[in-house]
Amino acid sequence: MDLTLDAVTRKRLEQARELGRQQIRPLGLEADRQGRPTPPEHPFFETLIKLGLGRTRWSASDDARGDATRANDPTRVGTSRTQLCLSEELAYWDRGVAVSFPGPGLGEPTVLQMGSPEQKQRFLARFVEPARPIWGSFAMTEPGAGSDVAGIRTRARRDGDDWILNGDKSFAANASRADWIVVFATVDASLGRDGHRAFVVEKGTPGLANFVIEKKMGLKAYESTSFSLRDCRVPSANLLGGEEHYAKRAGFKGAMRSFNATRPMVAAMAVGIGRAALDEALAFARASGVEREPRVRDRLERIRRRLRAARLLCWKAAWLADHQRPNILEASMAKAVAPTVALEAASLGMELIGEVGGRGDHLIEKLFRDVKAMDIVEGTGQIQRMIMARKLVQLPSER
Amino acid sequence: MIDFALADELRLIQQTAREFADAELRPRDREFERARGVPDDVRRRYDEIGLGRVELPESLGGAGLGALARVLILEELAAADAGAALALDPLGPALYPLREFGGDAALERFAAPLLARPGARAVLFWDARPRIREVDAVATGILPWVPSDRADLLVVLEKERAYAIAEGIRCEPLRGAGLRAAGASELHLERAPIVASWVHTPQAQRALARARLYAAALLVGVMRASADYSRAYAVERQAFGRPIAHHQALAFLITDMAAAVETARLLVLDAAWRLDRGEPAAEACASAFLEASEQSMFVTPNGVQILGGHGFMQDYPVEKYMREARALSLLFGGVDLARDDAGRDLVRSEGPVPLTVEA
Repeated sequence: MDLTLDAVTRKRLEQARELGRQQIRPLGLEADRQGRPTPPEHPFFETLIKLGLGRTRWSASDDARGDATRANDPTRVGTSRTQLCLSEELAYWDRGVAVSFPGPGLGEPTVLQMGSPEQKQRFLARFVEPARPIWGSFAMTEPGAGSDVAGIRTRARRDGDDWILNGDKSFAANASRADWIVVFATVDASLGRDGHRAFVVEKGTPGLANFVIEKKMGLKAYESTSFSLRDCRVPSANLLGGEEHYAKRAGFKGAMRSFNATRPMVAAMAVGIGRAALDEALAFARASGVEREPRVRDRLERIRRRLRAARLLCWKAAWLADHQRPNILEASMAKAVAPTVALEAASLGMELIGEVGGRGDHLIEKLFRDVKAMDIVEGTGQIQRMIMARKLVQLPSER
Repeated sequence: MIDFALADELRLIQQTAREFADAELRPRDREFERARGVPDDVRRRYDEIGLGRVELPESLGGAGLGALARVLILEELAAADAGAALALDPLGPALYPLREFGGDAALERFAAPLLARPGARAVLFWDARPRIREVDAVATGILPWVPSDRADLLVVLEKERAYAIAEGIRCEPLRGAGLRAAGASELHLERAPIVASWVHTPQAQRALARARLYAAALLVGVMRASADYSRAYAVERQAFGRPIAHHQALAFLITDMAAAVETARLLVLDAAWRLDRGEPAAEACASAFLEASEQSMFVTPNGVQILGGHGFMQDYPVEKYMREARALSLLFGGVDLARDDAGRDLVRSEGPVPLTVEA
């Protein structure tokens, strides 16, 4: 057993800390004040590209060797833990800015898992050494289907060599600035998950329109965008995995598996937000000279203890992933626990700063708004509990 | 780098403890409770496999292993019967002040004779003031509860010192709220001579930290037992046409109970790992104890709840787990002192709060 970080991870964390202090935190506060996402032409994104960030984990050479278990598996050995620590640290400085980072984003795991070698080349190669900031996006959620992903209504209809997509998508991160969006649609809504198909819809495709950047409670630095597909014609070469992939009825499973590696990562982001709230609350208490009062101290003590436990849950899930061991239960546990712990941290922080929190311009107040999303994205706390219950008590699936 | 894998030796110890607990303790838990102790045949088997000696120095026939080995064993034993876990451990956490303050000499003087006497028990008590009056190294007073029917050695630990009493102790039997397999007494000290006394704050802190971790590991075992038993029951028991576990209200309660056990366990492992690495661990141990106490009061009452009316009956073990969890978190200064200690550590620190050990 070892609960330390290796030198590589510590070094990358130190870099993230520098970037966080100097740029990420100020950008997040600015976006929050102005109530709009950081625009894609902001020089910050250029800086990230120069630092070697905003890239894909896919590698053409690993792909050529046919080594699908390494580069193309999101649970590749040895990367989850470091990624997770970085996610936590970036979220500590600003989770909204962290999500706005260029790169293939949440579309990447789906392309990696379902895409053919040609498709990976077509959609991911541009992210290997991007000359300028570019984004990918992922769209599953719809106005009428969130947690119940099997209930999506966006239709995919075959037309010669193409597919015609019709429907509406909601809350897709970075969608309006993305080079492409992984869009889930159904060929037959009555088939539930078996009817799902994943398409890569490229920017400028006619019928891909009506981008609306939503107004959010928090996390304003990245865009959560709704859009529509109106007779949107997509070549069959953009159907991820091709027809044969779905003949094996693996379509939906692919999508669900892709959430697997990210759940502990999102949980770790919650820990980062909670940790920011703890540090700010403690600094405020010190500045006010009340940190030794038992009521104050007890709150802070509880926050630290629960955040530590949440971090350890995340670490364990990532460690299992790194060793290709089943982590469904642990990943969902981390995702179910960490956001509520982090919300408690921000909420107790609000109590400690008192009326100052009511002003609407204190970092803790922002964190309190930001953090709520963490119990919703990547599967709500309730969905995590259903997943855990399937493991623990064989809870039957709804469909 | 982050690695939760246990070394082979530790895995073997954990496995051995689990097998012993499953075979010898769990099937007889109510018998031990009635008898206020563990029968000789069980104690002999426990001694034979050597689990009780893992933490003792080699000079006392021990394995000289650390805190991780200890907490793994304690969790396994307590997952079967926490009272029996205490009854099987003659020295119990009294080992820690003896070792921290007095070193090998104190172990030789106090621990060795105790271990040589079958059935003898040492008792650790946190800060007996003002219940005990000391005049010229003689102590008089009454301690309201210790989880033992015997006290061949009493070690009293205070913030800056520890002292030992070996004679003049009378045990008035109590019914006990929980942990009855370990016994329960009111301790009467009648002009009891203090035969050894040590003063040093850091040692006291370290001894208290290890005692708290001991209790925390037992709490993890107890709540695991409650969560596992009630989960299995909920899968079998039918209501409204399906297993009660498949009603979401209960399904979600069961998932949260599993998360609570894992949360407490991870804090215990983290603290034990810090101790074994020689890191400062007083705060981590206090935090682990607090978390285990709080989570056990979520898990074990809900364990009873899931069984409904049956849960309240002594035909099922879940009511016992609930009583034991509450009793365990009263030991060694309880949760209030742990909260004070962990909180003081937090506000003393400067800059960003580290949650875990970085390097």
